Amino acid sequence: MPLSHGLLMSLYALLVSIFFAVLWKRERPHQIKLFLQLFAGMVGGALLIAWLMYPFPSGPPTPFP
Amino acid sequence: MIEAGSQTEPREEASQQFSARIAATLVAAWLVPGSGHLMLGKMRRAVIFFAIVMAAIAIGGLLEGNLYRVLANQPLTVLATLGSMGMGSPYFILRYFFGYQGNVVAAGYEYGTAFLLTAGLMNLLLILDAWDIVRGRKA
Repeated sequence: MPLSHGLLMSLYALLVSIFFAVLWKRERPHQIKLFLQLFAGMVGGALLIAWLMYPFPSGPPTPFP
Repeated sequence: MIEAGSQTEPREEASQQFSARIAATLVAAWLVPGSGHLMLGKMRRAVIFFAIVMAAIAIGGLLEGNLYRVLANQPLTVLATLGSMGMGSPYFILRYFFGYQGNVVAAGYEYGTAFLLTAGLMNLLLILDAWDIVRGRKA
C-alpha cells in the first residue's frame, strides 16, 4: 500500500467528494460541479494549510519507529 | 353503509406495512452499505455508495487503521465506536470474524483510522438518506 501523504489525502478527498456529490445532487451536471468543488476545496485547502504551516517547526520526532 | 371500524382497519394495516417497510429499509441500509437505496429502487446510487463505503473500509484495513472499540475511562471512544459501527456488518465481520484491531505502530495507522471512521459515518448518512427517500422527502 503506498504511503504517500499526498496520494492518501487525494484518495480520501476523492471518495468523500464522490460520496457527497451523489448524496446531495440528483442531476449529473450538478453532481460533477459539486464533486469538483469539494475535491478542489479539500485538496487545495490542505495544500494551503500545509503551505501556511511550513515556517513552523515540525516538533519532536514520533515515538514510533 | 360502511361501518367506521371497517374503514380504519385497512388504513391501520397499510400504516403497519409502511412502518415495516421503513424499518426493513433502515436495517438493510445499516447492515449492507447501499442496500437501503437498492430496496428503494435506486440501483445506480446503491452501487456507487456500496463501492465508496467498501473502498474506504478496504483502504482503512490495508493501512491497518484503528477499528474503534469502547475503552475504559475514555468516553470519546464511545462516540468513535458508534461512528465506526455505522458501517454495519463489515464492522462486526472485521472485528469478530477476522479479529481485526488495527496496528498502532503501522505507518498508515492514522490515515487508516480516518478511512474506517469515515466509512461508518458515510453509511450513517446513507441510512438517513434512505429514511428521507422512503418517507417521500427526497427523490
